[in-house]
Amino acid sequence: MIHRIALLLALSFALAAQDEGINWLDSYPDALKLAKEQRKPLFVEFRCEA
Amino acid sequence: MLSPKDSPLGKQLEQYVCVRITRLDNIDVGLFEHDRNNAIYFYALNADEQIYLRYGGRDSASAETYLQTDSLVLALKQGLELHRRYLAGDLPKVPRAKALMPREIPLLVKRTFDNHQCVECHLVQDYQNMHRELDGTLDPLTHLYKSPDIKTLGIFLDVPQGLLVREAKGAAIAGGLQAGDRITALDGTPVYTFGDLQYRYDNVNRQAERIELTVERAAKPVKLTIDLPTRWWWTDLRFRQSSVDPRLYFEDKPLTAEDKKRLGLNPEGFASEVKYVSDFAKVMGAHELKLGDVVFGVDGVETDRLAHTAELYLKLRTRVGAEVTLDVLRGGQRIKMPLKSSRMSFRK
Repeated sequence: MIHRIALLLALSFALAAQDEGINWLDSYPDALKLAKEQRKPLFVEFRCEA
Repeated sequence: MLSPKDSPLGKQLEQYVCVRITRLDNIDVGLFEHDRNNAIYFYALNADEQIYLRYGGRDSASAETYLQTDSLVLALKQGLELHRRYLAGDLPKVPRAKALMPREIPLLVKRTFDNHQCVECHLVQDYQNMHRELDGTLDPLTHLYKSPDIKTLGIFLDVPQGLLVREAKGAAIAGGLQAGDRITALDGTPVYTFGDLQYRYDNVNRQAERIELTVERAAKPVKLTIDLPTRWWWTDLRFRQSSVDPRLYFEDKPLTAEDKKRLGLNPEGFASEVKYVSDFAKVMGAHELKLGDVVFGVDGVETDRLAHTAELYLKLRTRVGAEVTLDVLRGGQRIKMPLKSSRMSFRK
């Protein structure tokens, strides 16, 4: 139970990073390509949804 | 809780290409290497796959001890500055970590890919450890007791401020660390976030006796040597639901020197008092320990270089499924008791 609560809290934190209007890709290769084209850095989020 | 584009977080994120990964099937887990018992973890890197920094990490008490919006904003700013330096040719190139694809882990393929199941983050680590166990390279101190806790060293951070030290105690204060210092490197490797610090600290050889911390103090770099205390690597494994450590279904606490003397036990031994027994002990037929029992030996062994309790001795020195004989003191009587450990199923 405690583990589950902790996980939920962590995920609720993740929601804070899901910015309205921020375009989150779901393909790492696509993100790499775009970062190269735009000379931008990548910000990669690993989220365990299991 | 949303952070619009014009929020401090949104303003930073807009300058990145953001990608969210929820399945590891086709991800290079050699490059993105971190403690997989984090439900969420972040990296800032460039298109050449040079990692600038990590953001994430946790302690045994909570998954979110070190997750905080202000420190995330700070990390994103630092990532942008590192990227600016990289583009200007002002940042040393770091050799890319050796690639490792999940399909190169045979047990993961057999039990997950072949069953069309999700490659859950923790499974990568769990099956890597199972392979280490099978080929004899599993080092419990390194592979089970992952992500040592900096608080054991006496380092307490002002979490919203990243690596700013709020308080120093114990080994850290003895080594000269002060409140107000900002940690900038561990053993010479730059660290920008708690995630970086925990990752680098986890990579310290478990036999090491000291580490070197570089801190920024009054705008100047200061190098500090911190002596590592006994069992600096120890962490509570209970939140690691599917670790390969032997499940024992009891917890204990070390006896004091006075208690050992009073009970006539080896003063250097790992004798410990049972303080918790899980109902699973009976279900699994693991043992018949009771609260208050004192376990002072395992297969006749009473001392260990590292373990200070019987529980830790069993975790470090026996394999899952091992059948051993405990020496137990119960009600003033010395008795022998069988114990058999087991493994938690990896599937929730």
